Amino acid sequence: MRNKSILKEAKQIQLATELIKLGARLQVLEMNSNLSRERLVKLYKEIRGVSPPKGMLPYSEDWFMSWQPNMHSSLFINIFNYLTKHAEIEGIDALIKSYKLYLEHIEVNELQRVLSLTRAWTLIRFINSQVLCIAPCVRCGGKFLVHSLEIHSNHVCGLCNIPSRAGKTKKVAAAAANAG
Amino acid sequence: METNQLLEEVREINLGYMLLAQQLLREDKIAAMYRLGISQDVADIIERLSSSQLLKMAASNMLLCRFRFDDRLIAEMLSNQNRNQAVSQSHAAILMAGEPAEVIT
Repeated sequence: MRNKSILKEAKQIQLATELIKLGARLQVLEMNSNLSRERLVKLYKEIRGVSPPKGMLPYSEDWFMSWQPNMHSSLFINIFNYLTKHAEIEGIDALIKSYKLYLEHIEVNELQRVLSLTRAWTLIRFINSQVLCIAPCVRCGGKFLVHSLEIHSNHVCGLCNIPSRAGKTKKVAAAAANAG
Repeated sequence: METNQLLEEVREINLGYMLLAQQLLREDKIAAMYRLGISQDVADIIERLSSSQLLKMAASNMLLCRFRFDDRLIAEMLSNQNRNQAVSQSHAAILMAGEPAEVIT
């Protein structure tokens, strides 16, 4: 679609720029702006200095269920729901805003950036298509991401019941070995 | 400490809190609503307060801000040293973000 208004186009470029800076994949950009693919690729190269990665987006909803991703994505979805409910913001703007607040939390607590913007975007789509939903933990009352088809009446979250191997990834072990 | 001095400190916290809340809201309203845990109505009121109104509000003997972790659990998590600090903080953030916003009734 060709943009008739220059101002509108400028807004689209600004939005795409912000998304690219936050690490969005090309597919996310295409779905959220009406700039042409060529222009988006050009913009991507200009900002990141490399061509956008090819290939499919991460698509597994099971990824959100393992311990660490579940903690990160549950935090993100709680922020997202808070903003959309109270702050009169929606769609891609709400996604960007919540993702920035999520990144802030990561930075303050020196956590790894487990949830990428593209994953966060996929997460919202999974919620909208009712593949995933949120369910309260019976112990702490917090809202956590779960599969829609599972039974959640007795859900205990991964943070109330931390599995013994939780967070002990190869990366963490390697970092500890390097530090020691 | 004498009562007068304590009350003076309460008023100082009130003023600091109100000024910070207003500054947060003016800089980035949406993020500020999340950080402060307040609804649109409360945000609008705080944002529009004039300096003299703000001073009047702050000159109270009662604190204007209160603990957001009413839940014993959140308090426990924020102060718990045994567990991984970052994990506790994340758990607390999930709970706080999931709480309803402060509204005017």
